[in-house]
Amino acid sequence: MNRTVLNGYVPNRYVLVAGVAAAQLALTATAVAPQLSARVTGESYLVRVELYDPIDPFRGAYVALAYPDLPATRDAEQTPELPDLEGPEGRVFVSLTERDGVYVATDWSRERPEEGVFLSCSDGSWSLRCGIESWFVPQDEAAELERELMDSGGIAELRIDSRGNAAIVDLKARG
Amino acid sequence: METRPTPGPASPGPESTGSESTGSATPVSASPARHQVPATSGQLNWLRKQAHDWVAEGLVQPDQAASILGRYQASRRFSLGRLLLGVGATFTGVGLIWLVAANLDEFSPLTRFAVVLVLWLAALVGAETLAARGGSPLVTEAVRLLAALGLGAVIFQAAQSLQVPAYEPKLVGLWGAGALVHAYVLRAYSPLLVGIAAVTTFSVWQGLHWPDPTFTRAVLVLTLSAVVAVAVAALHDGRPHDAVAQARWRHAFAGPWRHVGAGLVLVGLFVAGFPVDEGWEITWTWWVVALAVLGALAAAAALAVARDLSRYEVLGSVAVLAIGLVLAAWSAGGDANDVEVQDWAHAILGVVTYVVVAVGIAAIGTLRDSWLLTAMATAGLVVFTTFQSFAVFAPIIQGAWLFVVLGLIFLATGIGFDRGRRRLAAALDDEAPPDAAGPQQQTEGTQS
Repeated sequence: MNRTVLNGYVPNRYVLVAGVAAAQLALTATAVAPQLSARVTGESYLVRVELYDPIDPFRGAYVALAYPDLPATRDAEQTPELPDLEGPEGRVFVSLTERDGVYVATDWSRERPEEGVFLSCSDGSWSLRCGIESWFVPQDEAAELERELMDSGGIAELRIDSRGNAAIVDLKARG
Repeated sequence: METRPTPGPASPGPESTGSESTGSATPVSASPARHQVPATSGQLNWLRKQAHDWVAEGLVQPDQAASILGRYQASRRFSLGRLLLGVGATFTGVGLIWLVAANLDEFSPLTRFAVVLVLWLAALVGAETLAARGGSPLVTEAVRLLAALGLGAVIFQAAQSLQVPAYEPKLVGLWGAGALVHAYVLRAYSPLLVGIAAVTTFSVWQGLHWPDPTFTRAVLVLTLSAVVAVAVAALHDGRPHDAVAQARWRHAFAGPWRHVGAGLVLVGLFVAGFPVDEGWEITWTWWVVALAVLGALAAAAALAVARDLSRYEVLGSVAVLAIGLVLAAWSAGGDANDVEVQDWAHAILGVVTYVVVAVGIAAIGTLRDSWLLTAMATAGLVVFTTFQSFAVFAPIIQGAWLFVVLGLIFLATGIGFDRGRRRLAAALDDEAPPDAAGPQQQTEGTQS
C-alpha cells in the first residue's frame, strides 16, 4: 500500500499502527474519563435511589435511575429545598451532606465548592445529568432488581472524586 | 457502494470514483503494462468494437489491436469476493458490537472488555501485517473494516463496564474520531467510511441535542455539516498534478466525503423548506459554534486550494447554507388552511432552490461519473416535490384534481431537471481546463 514519503523517510508501518492504537485507546479513555477517575481516586458515598424507567433496547438491561434526595432538574418548583440556580445552562455543582446514613443534596451552585462532598453535573439537557443516571445489569438479575427496587427503593454506592466526578459501583435493594 | 478508487500515476480527472478510477489509474499511452488492468464487461465490449473498427480502417495492425486488448481483463465492479468480504466484515463487526450490547452474561465486565480489546487489536495489527506482506487489498480492507467496527465495540464496552450513560452522542463521536485517525494515518479506506458515518451521526445528534433544539438550529447543523464534508472532499481533490501530489492529498478519500456532503445538502435544504412558523430562534451550543468555526476554516482552505468543479461545489454548499437559513428564519406556512402570498413565496423559493441544487448535484454526478450522486439528487427531488406539493396545493385542490396537478408538476419538474442537468454538465465540462479532463470526459452531458 501507499505510504507517505517525507523527504525520503518512510515511516515504519508498525510504528504507525502503534500510534493509531494509542490514539484510539486515548479516545476510549476520554469516553470514560469521569467515571474512571471517580472509581480510581474517589471515595464511597451511599445515596437513596429509585427505579425511574427500565430501558431494554437490546438484550441485557440499562436501568434508568432517579435519586429522590438529589435534584432531577433545575426547575425551581421541583426543588423547593434548594436555592434558585442562576446563570445560563452549563455545569452545576451539587453539594451533599450526610443525613441518616445516606447523602442528600443541600446546596448547588455554578461555582465549584472549595470543600465538602459534591457532584459535578450538567443541566444542558432536560434533566440534571451527573453521569450516574443508568445502571447496567445482566438480563437474569434485571427483573429481580426491578421488583425489589419497586417494592422498597434502593441504595446506590457512588464513588466521587475530588472534582465531583461520580460513578455507581453498586446498587442494592433497601431493607 | 463504489469501487475503491486507486490513485494512479497520471490521474488527471477531478474525481476518482467508480469506473473513472479504473480509467485514470493507468494511462493508455504508458509503456507495456506489467499487469492487466481490470475493466467492466461493458467497457471491454466497447473497446473490442473500437479495436475492430481501427483494424478495419487501417489505423492499427491486428497484432497491435490484440496487444491493446491484452492489457485489459474483464472484472466486475462488485465481484463476489468483494461482496462476501465486505458483508462478512460488516456482519462480524456489527455482531461484535451486538455481543457487547447483548452483554456476555457469563463474563465479568473486565473480561468482556479484555475480549473485545484483543479482537480489535488483532484486527488492527492483522490488517497491516497483511498489507505489509503484499496480501490481497480486498482482504486487507475487510480486516481494516473489522478493526474500525471493533473500535466501536471497545468504546461501548468500556462505557458499559464503567456504567457510563450510553445514550449520548459523545461515544459515537469518539468512535468516529478514532476511525478517522485510523483511516488517515494508515491510508485505510474502509475505516474512512466508518469514521465518516460515525462523525456525521455525531454532528447531527449533538447539534440537535438539548438544550432547546430549534428548527433554525436543525437547518444550521445539517447545512454546516454539509459545508464541512464538501470542503474536506475539495481539499482531498487538492491540486492533483501527479501521483505524489495525489497521494499526499489522499485524493481517493474525496468520494465518500463528497457523497455525504451532497446527502446533507439535500436533507438540509429539504428540512429548510418545511413550512414552519418559528422564525429565527437559535441557542448556540458548543458544537454549533465549533461546527461554524470548522465550516468557515474548511471552506476557506478548500477555496484556497481547490480548483474548478471542487471550488464550485464548495461555493454551492455555502450558498445552500445561506438560503437554508433564510428559509428557516422566514416565518411562513404555519397555518395550512390560510395560505397567503408570503407562504407561496416561501414555498416557491424553497422549490426553486431545491430544483437548482438537485440539478447541480445530478450534473456533478454526471461529470464525476458517479451514479450515486445522480440517484441521490433524483430521489431527493421526488421526495421534496411530493412533500411540497401536498403541503402547498393539498389545502386548495381536492380529490382527483390534486393527482392531475401533481402529475403535471412531476412531469414538468422531470423534464426541466433532465434538461438542466445536461446543460449544466455540458457548461461545466466545457469550462474545465484540458488537464482536468479525464479519459472519461465523453460524458452524457457532453453528448447531449
